Amino acid sequence: MSAPQPLRDRVAGDLRPVRPLRSPTVRALVLVPLAAAIVFAVPALHFFRSDMAALGVLRGWGFSYAQAIAGIVIVALALRESIPGRSLSRAVVSCTIAGGLALPALVLVMTSSTFDLGPAPGRALVEGVGCFRASAGAALPALLFAALLVARAFPLRPGIAGALYGLGCGLIADAGLRLFCEYTAPPHVAFAHGGAILGAMFVGVVVSRISAPSRR
Amino acid sequence: MEGYLGGRIEAFDGLYAALAGRLRGYLMAQCRDAALADDLLQDTFLQMHRSRHTYEPGRPVTPWVFAIARHVFLMKRRSTGRRLRFEERLTADATAGDVVRDDVKAMVEKDEVRRALEQVPADQREALLLHHVQGWSFAEIAARLGIRVNAAKTRAFRGMKKMKGHLK
Repeated sequence: MSAPQPLRDRVAGDLRPVRPLRSPTVRALVLVPLAAAIVFAVPALHFFRSDMAALGVLRGWGFSYAQAIAGIVIVALALRESIPGRSLSRAVVSCTIAGGLALPALVLVMTSSTFDLGPAPGRALVEGVGCFRASAGAALPALLFAALLVARAFPLRPGIAGALYGLGCGLIADAGLRLFCEYTAPPHVAFAHGGAILGAMFVGVVVSRISAPSRR
Repeated sequence: MEGYLGGRIEAFDGLYAALAGRLRGYLMAQCRDAALADDLLQDTFLQMHRSRHTYEPGRPVTPWVFAIARHVFLMKRRSTGRRLRFEERLTADATAGDVVRDDVKAMVEKDEVRRALEQVPADQREALLLHHVQGWSFAEIAARLGIRVNAAKTRAFRGMKKMKGHLK
């Protein structure tokens, strides 16, 4: 079976050598310096939480960088999802999203002994919006970078790829936020911190669906 | 595939010769329209050409190219609303064809199978067609759909069961 001449002519007209994309893991590693900078910049640009010394290096920086690494792993999964024929199964996507959303709560449980430290009465909304903005703003550079990496591939399910890299970038930003915000009250953590991660996921879905080559 | 990535047209010819038959069979099973399958085959190769940089050297070509073919089919179905028109045509045929001649009975029976297939959920129908029509193994189906082998078996089995139910 030989190719029809019109098809062959079109292919021949654009047949320059191309360099294949590197593996998803290698491409996700490009995010490492940016993630490290985000984790450091969020508290550095605002202030470090007051119990930073009591928290110690491992429970402070260690857990934050571990969470950022988890975020990069999720971005790597999004990059893998963006390669035709390497789509993730529903189970892997569900477990990744559930695990990613549960991770900040797990880190909080492992690093805090009390869960009643929240904003002063009447300040909950202001403080919540402040944390949300800090986290969302920090996630933005990583989101843009990840969106470019995914758009260079060919995501056949751009919504899923976007949700995954949005989640990964949200986790990276939240890793920095936890060095800045010392509140442990569940409503604040769920709505301000968790809300920012969900917001990053939503932005990831929208950006990915708009920018995906598969939709053009 | 490496030669094709390197810009050799002969490599593209070889790829076309190796894949076109299976791809056409797959697309035919999906859309059940020979002319449309031929169009989709050309679109698949064009899309494959545009996204050839996403192929990872060393990995099997088949899952990559079939994923693109499936995507091309889904995009086509979405953009043209072909399914909707097909169902409308079936309804019109059913209304007009009150009296069925003996010599077209075989065609009607084919239509019944087709209608029964249409009632089967898309994911189950795909597994069913790939296994029973295309002759793919469950391992191949699982790899292409990104699911477990057992899930592929379950989908094909449930699809067949539902189709039989609709044929009774």
